[in-house]
Amino acid sequence: MRNKRRSFVTLLAIGVGFAAISLFRGYTDATYNALRQTAVRGEGLAHLTVAKQGWFEKGKLDPQQYMFLEEDVQRIIKLIKEEPDVLVATPQIMIAGLVSNGTVSTIFVAQGVIPKEDKIIKGIFSSYGPIKGAALDDQKMYGVEMSRGLAEFLGLEAGKDGVAMAATLNGQMNAMDIQVIGVYETGTDMTNDKFMRVNYGFAQALYDAKMAEKVVVLLDDWRKTDSMRIRLLDKLTRAGFNCDIKTWNELSIFYSKVKAMFDSIFFFLFTIVMIIVVMSTVNTMGMAVLERTREIGTLRALGLKRRGVNLLFALEGGLLGLCGSLFGMFLHVATWAVIRIFQPTYTPPGTSISVPMVVHLVPQVMVVLMACLIVLSLMAAVIPARRAAGQKVVDALWHV
Amino acid sequence: MPLIEMKNIKKDYFLGETVVHALRGIDLEIDSGEFIGIWGPSGSGKTTLLNLIGAIDEPTEGSLIMNGREVSRLSDNACSELRNKTVGFIFQGFNLVPVLSALENVMLPLQIKGTPMAEARTKALGRLQEVGLTGLDAHRPSKMSGGQQQRVAIARALVTTPSLVIADEPTANLDSENAHLIIDLMRALNEKDQTTFIFSTHDQRLLDRVKRLVRLEDGRIGNGGAASC
Repeated sequence: MRNKRRSFVTLLAIGVGFAAISLFRGYTDATYNALRQTAVRGEGLAHLTVAKQGWFEKGKLDPQQYMFLEEDVQRIIKLIKEEPDVLVATPQIMIAGLVSNGTVSTIFVAQGVIPKEDKIIKGIFSSYGPIKGAALDDQKMYGVEMSRGLAEFLGLEAGKDGVAMAATLNGQMNAMDIQVIGVYETGTDMTNDKFMRVNYGFAQALYDAKMAEKVVVLLDDWRKTDSMRIRLLDKLTRAGFNCDIKTWNELSIFYSKVKAMFDSIFFFLFTIVMIIVVMSTVNTMGMAVLERTREIGTLRALGLKRRGVNLLFALEGGLLGLCGSLFGMFLHVATWAVIRIFQPTYTPPGTSISVPMVVHLVPQVMVVLMACLIVLSLMAAVIPARRAAGQKVVDALWHV
Repeated sequence: MPLIEMKNIKKDYFLGETVVHALRGIDLEIDSGEFIGIWGPSGSGKTTLLNLIGAIDEPTEGSLIMNGREVSRLSDNACSELRNKTVGFIFQGFNLVPVLSALENVMLPLQIKGTPMAEARTKALGRLQEVGLTGLDAHRPSKMSGGQQQRVAIARALVTTPSLVIADEPTANLDSENAHLIIDLMRALNEKDQTTFIFSTHDQRLLDRVKRLVRLEDGRIGNGGAASC
């Protein structure tokens, strides 16, 4: 600690390392949070999706067999809504087919929802609503929201009419008039040129089936997802329904993949920083031991035991870890404040809109990280300390 | 029972394949309260002998008994405790910790011993007063003269009230005036507390004041042996 320049460089390495890990963790925390919100509310997955057993695996091949009948849907929703933690339980149906402006047609995928209940699921996302026109309306059966890319391709805009075509569940071709009442951003390039949102009743009519493929359930707290799944599965099974229930993170492939990628990057970064911290501390303490060999000899001559020397240097290493971590914490808070003030935005790959950069302060991560760095610095200091303590007193005393 | 009893002490150093016989069979007894000077030409083994007596080095052969305990049979921890409680060291280069004040330097052996801080402080201040450094307790070694630093070292050596103080060329780095002061101080403390002082020196002023003189030649006690003055 006496060589100020060397100690400063070590503190800098620990501090910057701490800040790098902590900021990245703060960023991933904010990203996971945003992705969760996007999956639950933006994609409309809610927290739980209840479907007939086998739907998730084979539903697309034989929809009729794996869809709920309308009367079953109402009974299931009634049972689910008995739970006090449930905010919304609403049926949904996904349809796919062709959409035309009368001249050209292209494929579409549409989510059939009950607009009033879907608005609750969307929550804050409903305020992003259509960028042009109005949102879905329970009273406008044929009104649809069309994704921006699709609307641009077909040259449709709010107020214009078109035609949606799809095969019914019996295999007959069906066509229905639509009116574009709103144009919206899906948020990702992949879906922005093919997605639509339609009324639940419209979707059932196009498929010519009074059925629903799933019931989505919104809870008052996402942390209750797993426990509610178990509870609902048990309840519905006892009521005679053979159901599968999936959680939002099981269904959101994007969330799972992004999380897996960030977790890998975090591990990689964490490992590199830890190696730098260990090497810096070993170097600093190693040099300190070398420079203070005579002093160590004097202390040993005065009666300090070997473990005393170990402790002395280990404490110095630990102190370096503590001060470095505090410095890193300061860097994190300063960066966090700058981001809060200037609110920079960026466009993540695969998305069609820019998003604000958000970095969270995650106290638990900071505490764990600080503990890790202190312990690591302490252990790194023990290596040269053991060498120092192992010297013969007389050799240390006359060391030049 | 003598404080120190050395029987046929030999010490060899290995410089590559060359063996240097630093001590070639020393028999020596030192009683409590003695004021002994060890002198001899460079390379005669003075420092080696002091290192062995101070239990900071081990003999190659022979037996060294301190206070009735065979030092070579003690564990490293026991040796450390022995040094802390029984031996005080005064080094030629003072060996003070540069970042600590005079008071903190003197408190060091007591802190190692586990003495409560307040008690250690009181004892250290008392020793500093005894060596004439009242008011300089907050000074760092770099702000003190050589004589003052050596007095801090003496205070540090005496603060645990050891039965033995070992001083290796204690006046070698001092001017004449300071050397006299240090010699007087050590002699006075020896008289007052009956603390045993063993030191190596070339300094005639110090040799003139010893009670007993041990002359070393080529690792052996020379002609005339351990003479009383």
